[in-house]
Amino acid sequence: MSEVVSLKQPRSGPRLRIGFLRLTDSAPAIVAQEFGYFAEEGVDADLFEEPSWANIADKLAYGFLDAAVIVPPLAFAIELGLRGVSQKLVIPCNVSMGGNTITLSRALARQVCDSAHDNGLSTAQALAACLKTRDQPLPLGVVHAYSTHNLLLRYWLATAGLEAGRDVRLSVVPPARAVEALQSGAIAGFCAGAPWGEIAVRAGAGLNVAASDDIWRAAPEKAFAVRASWAEENPEGVKGAVRALVRAAQFCDAPENASYTGSLLSRQKYLGVDSHAILSSLPGGAIAPDNQSWFWRGAATFPWRSHALWFLRQMTRWDLIGAVDRDALAARVYRPDLYRAAVAPLGISVPLADGKNEGAHSMPWRLEAAPSPIAMEPDSFCDGAVFEVSPAPASF
Amino acid sequence: MALTILLIDTDAERARALEEKLSQSGFARVVRAVDTDLAAAVEAARPDLVIIDMALPDRDALEDIRTVSAASPVVMFAGTDDPAFAQEAIAAGVCSYNLSGVALQDVRPILASAIALFQRYRHVEIELAAAKALLNERRLIERAKALLMKNRKMSEPEAYRWLQKKAMNESRKLAEVVADFVAGEENAQRETKA
Repeated sequence: MSEVVSLKQPRSGPRLRIGFLRLTDSAPAIVAQEFGYFAEEGVDADLFEEPSWANIADKLAYGFLDAAVIVPPLAFAIELGLRGVSQKLVIPCNVSMGGNTITLSRALARQVCDSAHDNGLSTAQALAACLKTRDQPLPLGVVHAYSTHNLLLRYWLATAGLEAGRDVRLSVVPPARAVEALQSGAIAGFCAGAPWGEIAVRAGAGLNVAASDDIWRAAPEKAFAVRASWAEENPEGVKGAVRALVRAAQFCDAPENASYTGSLLSRQKYLGVDSHAILSSLPGGAIAPDNQSWFWRGAATFPWRSHALWFLRQMTRWDLIGAVDRDALAARVYRPDLYRAAVAPLGISVPLADGKNEGAHSMPWRLEAAPSPIAMEPDSFCDGAVFEVSPAPASF
Repeated sequence: MALTILLIDTDAERARALEEKLSQSGFARVVRAVDTDLAAAVEAARPDLVIIDMALPDRDALEDIRTVSAASPVVMFAGTDDPAFAQEAIAAGVCSYNLSGVALQDVRPILASAIALFQRYRHVEIELAAAKALLNERRLIERAKALLMKNRKMSEPEAYRWLQKKAMNESRKLAEVVADFVAGEENAQRETKA
């Protein structure tokens, strides 16, 4: 099909170079670009597909990118200069929720699922039971040390008393290499974002035994990070970019748009993978909706301070960061005030508070918001924990 | 003392050229690795320096490898004040990691060689892409002229002038106007047939 209709408007506004990886939850950025939302909101955006998180980090640090769709722990690592040159970043909106899978080799997955079924265990407990007979730590892959995947997988393993280093050996395996690594036996499983679990399943290399939802039912996944200096120089540009992403998030969340979004993402210049594998992780696209990314419902685009604090707490728990003032860092990077200012012209409801108690809701609930309350998803953790944040006044 | 360099590059020709250049200098012993277990490659080669093509996804894995001498590989120039050199490398698409804490003045000439080589290959790629685009543009102009001559009974110079005028009126590039025109005409033809 040729593109006869061009929605691109003449370029104007500040240039915003946005990096993304080949993942389902890059969807809002891709849709905002393809539909001309960035241009309509006064931002001259360019998208850059990057092969690694390391590239995203270095290009943000050295000014080759102005912004990125990023795993929030990496944004904190860049801000703190933990893996190279430091760069101040701000997160004015969240991009996606959920969407990760824990994928095990077929043989191990069957053993774990059988054990869970026969003995009435959780999947994590069943994995722990299966590991009792091993004398070597189980090799598992995550996509980056400073990733949501590393934090979620460790959290999940810990609920069954499994510890990285002792029971499992975690190493970094880029998702594009994960199928091969599973097949060669270099790893026995991995935790990665969609569509890579589904791709491993389709290649016959593995089975998904758990998803983000099974660890944390409303787990924040990717966020939109902008270099703080760009944000300061282009206050209207930041607001425009947030509005474009929020509008795109609404499009991506509508079930009727799933097949369109799936085929758009599957293009060579974006994900370059089977559109059906992508479709299964989009709202409305899954046959069994057990592993979806979602983008809009339940205040998904709001940059919750409590999300930032949870990530920082987990990074401390696993010794990924040293002693830092987590409250100050969360407040510096996560910017609900920028979000509120940006979306005001759209007339959508915005949360009244900057944080909430994470994990406190096992059922759908209503969030206080203006002008009207927001219907929220359950947000419980697999171990029933509640992550409480001290109520801080909302920032406007 | 020669430094051991692990070179990770899928472009075999470029890797060979860099290996040759560095080996000739006598300061470096180059080991090449591609599509293998990087941890094993690092373990086997015990490199002082890793030079890696930034187009590969393996950087994330590499950064997590713990080595005997360094807690983890140190990405190019972290903690130094030479952003310009790092920027040059990123623009060329090459990155390096220091694994044994070699002094910057010792690795600088090696990295400069790598950057220069990557830049040269990048220029060749860009020139090739530009040549392809030009060929495609010519082909489309010929196609557009043929369509105008056939469907609207224009002469060849008339057809070319018509396209030029259209581009000028719409203040767009000739190439874009021609591409849209050909796509539009071909769609219309397909619909007529269907």
